[in-house]
Amino acid sequence: MMIRRVVGFMLLVAALLSGVTAAPRAGAQSIRLPEIRDITLPNGARILLAERHEVPLIALNAYVRGGSLTDPEGKEGIASLTAEMLRKGAGKRSAEQIAEAVDGVGGAFATGAGMEGFYVSGEFMKSDADLMIDLVKSVLRNPTFPDSEFVKLRSQSVDGILALKDDPGNVYRAYGGSYFYGAHPYGRPGGGDESTLAALTRDDALRCYRDQFGADRLILVVVGDFTVSSMEPRLRAAFGGWGKAASALPPVPEPERVGGRRVLLVDKPDATQTYFWIGNRGVSAVDSDRDVLDVANTAFGGTFGSLLNTAMRIKSGLTYGASCRLQRFSVGGSVGIGSFTKNESTQQAIDLALETLRAFRAAGLEPARLSSARNYINGQFPTDLETAGQLAGQLAVNAFYGLGNEEITGYPARIAAVDSAAVRRAVARVYPPDSDLVLVMVGNAAKVRTVAKRYGPVTEIALARPMIQALRDARQRSRPTAR
Amino acid sequence: MPRNSSVTPVMATIAVATMLLSAAVAPAQPREQRAARATTPVLAKEIAVRTWSNGLRVIVWPDHDVPNVAMITIYKVGSRNERPGITGISHFFEHMMFNGSKNYPSGDYDRLLEAAGGSNNAYTTENVTAYQNWIPKGALETIFRLEADRICCLSLDSTSVESERGVVYSERRTTTDNNNESFLDEQVQAAAYTAHPYGFPVIGWPSDIERWSRQDLQDYFRTNYAPNNATMVFAGDVTPEEIFALVARHLEPIPAQPPPPVIRTVEPPQQGERRVIVRRPGQVPFIQVVFHAGRANDADVEALDLLSTILTGGESSRLYRRLVDRDQVAIGIYDYTLRGFDPGLYRILVTVSPDKGVEACESALFDELARVGRDGVTAAELKKAKNVSVANFWRRMATIDGKAATLADAQVFRGDWRDAFAAPDRYARVTTRDIQALAKRLFDEKNRTIGILVPENEPVAATAKGGAR
Repeated sequence: MMIRRVVGFMLLVAALLSGVTAAPRAGAQSIRLPEIRDITLPNGARILLAERHEVPLIALNAYVRGGSLTDPEGKEGIASLTAEMLRKGAGKRSAEQIAEAVDGVGGAFATGAGMEGFYVSGEFMKSDADLMIDLVKSVLRNPTFPDSEFVKLRSQSVDGILALKDDPGNVYRAYGGSYFYGAHPYGRPGGGDESTLAALTRDDALRCYRDQFGADRLILVVVGDFTVSSMEPRLRAAFGGWGKAASALPPVPEPERVGGRRVLLVDKPDATQTYFWIGNRGVSAVDSDRDVLDVANTAFGGTFGSLLNTAMRIKSGLTYGASCRLQRFSVGGSVGIGSFTKNESTQQAIDLALETLRAFRAAGLEPARLSSARNYINGQFPTDLETAGQLAGQLAVNAFYGLGNEEITGYPARIAAVDSAAVRRAVARVYPPDSDLVLVMVGNAAKVRTVAKRYGPVTEIALARPMIQALRDARQRSRPTAR
Repeated sequence: MPRNSSVTPVMATIAVATMLLSAAVAPAQPREQRAARATTPVLAKEIAVRTWSNGLRVIVWPDHDVPNVAMITIYKVGSRNERPGITGISHFFEHMMFNGSKNYPSGDYDRLLEAAGGSNNAYTTENVTAYQNWIPKGALETIFRLEADRICCLSLDSTSVESERGVVYSERRTTTDNNNESFLDEQVQAAAYTAHPYGFPVIGWPSDIERWSRQDLQDYFRTNYAPNNATMVFAGDVTPEEIFALVARHLEPIPAQPPPPVIRTVEPPQQGERRVIVRRPGQVPFIQVVFHAGRANDADVEALDLLSTILTGGESSRLYRRLVDRDQVAIGIYDYTLRGFDPGLYRILVTVSPDKGVEACESALFDELARVGRDGVTAAELKKAKNVSVANFWRRMATIDGKAATLADAQVFRGDWRDAFAAPDRYARVTTRDIQALAKRLFDEKNRTIGILVPENEPVAATAKGGAR
């Protein structure tokens, strides 16, 4: 099957590599939330519950603050492996028994790590609520970390990275973000790389679990076909006795904007397309302009008819898709254009992307585009909250960033009120000027090396090399030329 | 963020397989709709259907939980309707449907739809081309104007054709040429069919993408994009009356056309194993195996769905347990079924662990498949697969988009939207014996085509595990 669209490309991989991404979109003319029971247990665990009875399903989203940010240097990937290990043995169940329990009832159950948090998510038929609670309780509180499972998972994770790298479309945005953030913790590839993973041990996972998991880090959201009065005591019983994490969260400084230009060329000698990312520092998930930026970025690179996709796909046929993303974490983020084009048109496509960015910064949004972006966000939003799983996800992310229900219910009005002056101000502040850009190109270096040099001082690495050390070397080499 | 996402051909086809699976499972068998209402409130709302004088069939499922509407239009045209020289044209046409019509120049479709708060997507398969719109209720009039204009009077101007050729070639490079698994997928499917057009890649062969003409497109439009070749489904915050009034005003005036030519070619039975080797740069090998299977409305569709779940559904499935977990010869495994108007394929795709090599992986895979035919499956495995079907059904019922797609699939592929609710009996009736008999027939060595992607590494330093310093 072939699909027309490419906007929003690679969300899945982005989630795996970059973790808890941007803040939720919210909005629509009349958003009615079900009543939300929001409690904090004495040990610090926060629990949010809401009933939705349209279909007999229950969805669960849990975050534990921490995530890949807590990876010690040289042990990148340990948070991710630790989180995956949670479902490879917990309480009395082996990995196989956990899988059997989930699949046996047609459930869905996942664990993992994002940049800023570990997560557990699940969706089960209402009749399996007890099983769901028992699973989430035992994987969070009593994981067993069987050694044989650890060895297997580590090996599979290395192979998984190799497989991802065989298609540059899977990884170019991750290289873009990492190169921009540099040594900042947000620049860590969450899954580690081939080299760091290979050196990790079960003891590293045990340490990560002991240090980073605990009730004081937990946000647990359950939404679906149950009654709050019966669910609440069960969750209190499951998590009331859980202790706190053994260590504190590491401090995270605000990422700095890159001044001047720097270009990273990642060589994949057989590539017939160049995949490129152009960006710089963006904003945090709680930035005061977050709604304005939702509108601005929707118009610039968030929809099919956006400025970027119109210029690069609809009008010129240079690419299957071009988009711009705001990746938003607690204390900062990135803004990045992503696209790809055949080797021969690499320069033309990058020039056009830069020209579109320049024009956007200079002119802002014309009234029709502004109103279209507002309508689009508000028009699509109700279906972003349609299922129990969607609502649970949204509530969990909001709780994570300390945002209240107003973030959702007040959103339509805030979006509708975004005007062109606010957009102009936010765009000038957030989208990078021509002089300050990070450009990452993944492609056939022999074919596009000359083109790359047009945009600034170029550092070159091989895609086949493990990412962390390669990027570290690239930073060393590019330092003297960066302003 | 926009729900539009890029999906590789392989992944996208899985979505269709799931769609079909879910379409055919419901927890209760309503002999008539009223009976269903009592037990399954989500299905209780009135579904209305009408076929218009020009042959267009319209189905409406009111659901007022959100103030939005999901709309899907399916044309019975896909790569099976192509011939050498124009392969990929169905998919190209899908793109061209957004590039201007009589009253709305190129770019207007998206511009006006987005301005009204709507979004859209479209996809093409071997069997059909589908157009999806997700709109706030207030955008209904807009979407009808846009749809009517392009069904009636598509422009197909030569500037757009050339520009879109570049887009589709970029899509091909992205989804196929720079992706080893998809590249292998294409080669295996081509080898599995010697005569039937299911052997053509949906994206099209590169030489055809470069050369199809505007005349080819005009012929294709006239033949295939007639109202009598289309099914339209609406689910969401609407009433049948308002939809039917809009259809009468905007779509009924568009005349019917002679039906598209029947696909005559029948794939001759395969007489022995076929093997395809692809050598390309990369680090990770792949194995794909396809078996000739049935049509979307064959009697064993449900048994195959259940068998598929038993083999690859989740980490407790047979193939995951054996290949990934126990033998550790693979790092990932999944399957999907090409299922449509003509006999399709059941396909298993394995990402091979680079350390272990393809031989060990292949022999473990065939050992497991033979075991199903020889020893059958357990009652517990069958029960698990049926539970998965039921849960998936409810996941689809949770959204207006899922509801629209479920009805559309049942109507187009099984000839009646009511089949979406009539299937549970068929699922409930499947026995372990049925599964075993199917496996024995399907996994016959003579019925299979095997593809292997052998990565050929350029000597770049430090690609192996732990080798980097």
